[in-house]
Amino acid sequence: MSIGQLARGRTPAPARRAAAHDPLLIAAALVLVAVIGIALLGPLRSPYDPDQLYAGAVSAPPSLAHPFGTDDLGRDVLSRVLAGARPSIAGPVIVVAVSTMLGVAVAVASAWFGGAVDGIASRLVDVIFAIPGLVLAVLAVAMFGKGLLAPVVALSIAYMPIVVRLVRAGARAELGRPYIAALRIQGVGSLAICFRHLLPALLPTILAQATVGFGYAMLDIAAISFLGLGAQPPASDWGVMIAGGQPALLTGAPEQSMFPAALIVLTVLAVNIVGARTTTWAEAKDR
Amino acid sequence: MTTTVLEIDGLSVATPDGRTLVHDCTLAVSAGESLGLVGESGSGKTLSTRAVAGLLPAGFTTGGTIRLAGHDLASLPGAELRELRATRMGMAFQTPRAHLNPLRTIGDFMTEALVALAGEAPEAAYRRAVDLLAEVGIRDPDRRMRQRPGELSGGLLQRVMIAATLAMDPPLLLADEITTALDVTTQEEVMAVIADLRRHRDLALLFITHDLALAGAVCDRVAVMQAGRTVETLAAATMREDAREPYTRRLLSASLPDEAAGIRQARRSDTVLEVAGLRKAYQVRAAGRGRGREELLAVDNVSFALAAGGALGIVGESGSGKSTTARMICGLETADGGTVTVKHEDWTAPARSAPARRARARVVQMVFQDPYQSLDPRQTVRSCLAEAVAVHRRIASRAEIAARVDALLDAVRLAPALAGSRPRALSGGQRQRVAIARALAADPEILVLDEAVSALDVTTQVEILTLLDSIRRETGVALLMISHDLTTVRRLCDHVAVMQAGRIVEQGPIADVLDAPRSDYTRTLLDSIPRPGWTPQRRLPARIVTSGGTR
Repeated sequence: MSIGQLARGRTPAPARRAAAHDPLLIAAALVLVAVIGIALLGPLRSPYDPDQLYAGAVSAPPSLAHPFGTDDLGRDVLSRVLAGARPSIAGPVIVVAVSTMLGVAVAVASAWFGGAVDGIASRLVDVIFAIPGLVLAVLAVAMFGKGLLAPVVALSIAYMPIVVRLVRAGARAELGRPYIAALRIQGVGSLAICFRHLLPALLPTILAQATVGFGYAMLDIAAISFLGLGAQPPASDWGVMIAGGQPALLTGAPEQSMFPAALIVLTVLAVNIVGARTTTWAEAKDR
Repeated sequence: MTTTVLEIDGLSVATPDGRTLVHDCTLAVSAGESLGLVGESGSGKTLSTRAVAGLLPAGFTTGGTIRLAGHDLASLPGAELRELRATRMGMAFQTPRAHLNPLRTIGDFMTEALVALAGEAPEAAYRRAVDLLAEVGIRDPDRRMRQRPGELSGGLLQRVMIAATLAMDPPLLLADEITTALDVTTQEEVMAVIADLRRHRDLALLFITHDLALAGAVCDRVAVMQAGRTVETLAAATMREDAREPYTRRLLSASLPDEAAGIRQARRSDTVLEVAGLRKAYQVRAAGRGRGREELLAVDNVSFALAAGGALGIVGESGSGKSTTARMICGLETADGGTVTVKHEDWTAPARSAPARRARARVVQMVFQDPYQSLDPRQTVRSCLAEAVAVHRRIASRAEIAARVDALLDAVRLAPALAGSRPRALSGGQRQRVAIARALAADPEILVLDEAVSALDVTTQVEILTLLDSIRRETGVALLMISHDLTTVRRLCDHVAVMQAGRIVEQGPIADVLDAPRSDYTRTLLDSIPRPGWTPQRRLPARIVTSGGTR
């Protein structure tokens, strides 16, 4: 046992120092900052009006005037990518935030009360689990109409069960540990135990799941937009742009789909790398 | 003349980042000899042994020489080294359960090495495995071969592990704290098995333990390790007289029973805690293949009383129901029958509401066995204690809370400089002091100690017991001490209750029960405590002759 502790006994301070020597982490963090920056400020700094048609240049290749080229209607791809960043990022962020908050609440309640509460919550989660997220999202669009709101709400619900399963298992294990019993014997209130002790203990798990969920949500929303059920013209997100660029792929102008697709890939990768490192760091801090 | 089986000379072990943890370990074990390697946790005894077995974590480097059966380990190429280790030594560990795959049967485990390494036919390997199990005193080995680790007790599993190490007929057995996790009576069984094996096989034994009394009782010689160095090696029979090193003497005095401390009278006679007819049953799956459930009576008609300011010890082996009793008193379990009365109030049902729990917390507090588990790893010492102080809302301002935390640290003799540390940075003894300080935050009238010192080194045990004793004198808190260790109960308590299989078999003043026991079980417990001149006895039938016979 003592050896295991020695081998694991790295403290967070070296972990933080190690981050400075982790080029992958630095690159991922830079990408993330850039993407968030674009989402917040992009439309203000874009070279053209993203919806303005430029008759002179239809499906033009990248040039100095249009660094990412123009699309089939002659719109500047760079300006549209910048404008599409906000809905593309905001969608998954909302999905992850809502599903995580709902999921953690349900999971902690299940683990805490056990018995009937746990039974009902678990069966409910099983039912939601049985429906694929994309199908639920398409269903929501069919019921509430096109646009980003319905799929985002649907995906938030569809993603909740994964969070519940994971966090519930972690919470049960944590609640069984003696320090929780010690807190109860001291007379510490249930809410205080939950917020001051249980949730911080579960944070690495929640963080890890949130970053994975972000990637999936981003791809799912892009898929929904690609199907034409998400953001509606003239508004645009990266999924719509990939779909719009489809015909141009055949006519030798791949950049119309490629640039938004590359941004999706980069963002998902960056979130996952930063998430993984943060989780490792949070776990190391606990030991 | 005897041959030296293992010779370690000037061994050092360093971590990948250059810290040297073992500086100079020097010892030798001859054929048929048993050498005890004794020291506290962190003294380097496990690391040294692991260096012999080639089980150091990745990146650890060694210096000095290790000669196993005459071969210098450093000079051998990889394949020969593995071969030498596989055939010339066996190693048993503290936690056999962790070293066995729970999904595979004992038979799978026992025959795997025989078939894979020794190239035996499956049937021959099976017969040999059965013989080995019989040799370590396992009854009905055929049935055990079909069982999985989960169905066997810790003592049985440890014997399975020992039997497995004997498969290749090694001349040397490394035993790393093999009885630390076992009850005293089970420890005696395992030690008796080891003694038998040494007689019959001329086995050399390197016995690693933190328990000097045990090493002195079962080994020929004892090597004492401190801070990565073997400080002295003594003949076990005369170690009390010959010990020169102050550290050895400290260990020796720590393991001596302190008779004088036991004679102490309760100052007041009014009862603060009374338990009457307490009962707790668990539904467990019935033994065998059936789907039926049966009731296991964990606690059966347990009654005792604790005087205000008194100290009552409840002793028994694991599974005797002593911890369940403590947990029912603290409201962590619900009793199925009987009553718990604290200060003339009925406490049988656990308090549900937060104010009720807080009110009870001001009367009864608990210290848990494992200080590594009972503190929130994310909290600093100060925030842990501040939380315990603040919850009772007796004082409000930050300054007052901080002052109270300082007073608590002082009460458990912890340096104020440690207040900012997290449990990770503290030693086991320091953590247990934090846990005691936390329990004292509420100014309780009863302190329940659930095996509160059994996870600690002997010298640390003595420190904590001394601390608890002085706290009892200063504050008048009554102690309810749950323990499997009669020696620690004798040091701290004035009354004792002995529990076996959920029932109290004997109780009374400590001197009456421990010096003139009336029940056979108490006598068995007392007999199984290692002491000078102790011979471990087998309470199960000795060697069993099976189809293949024993050797």
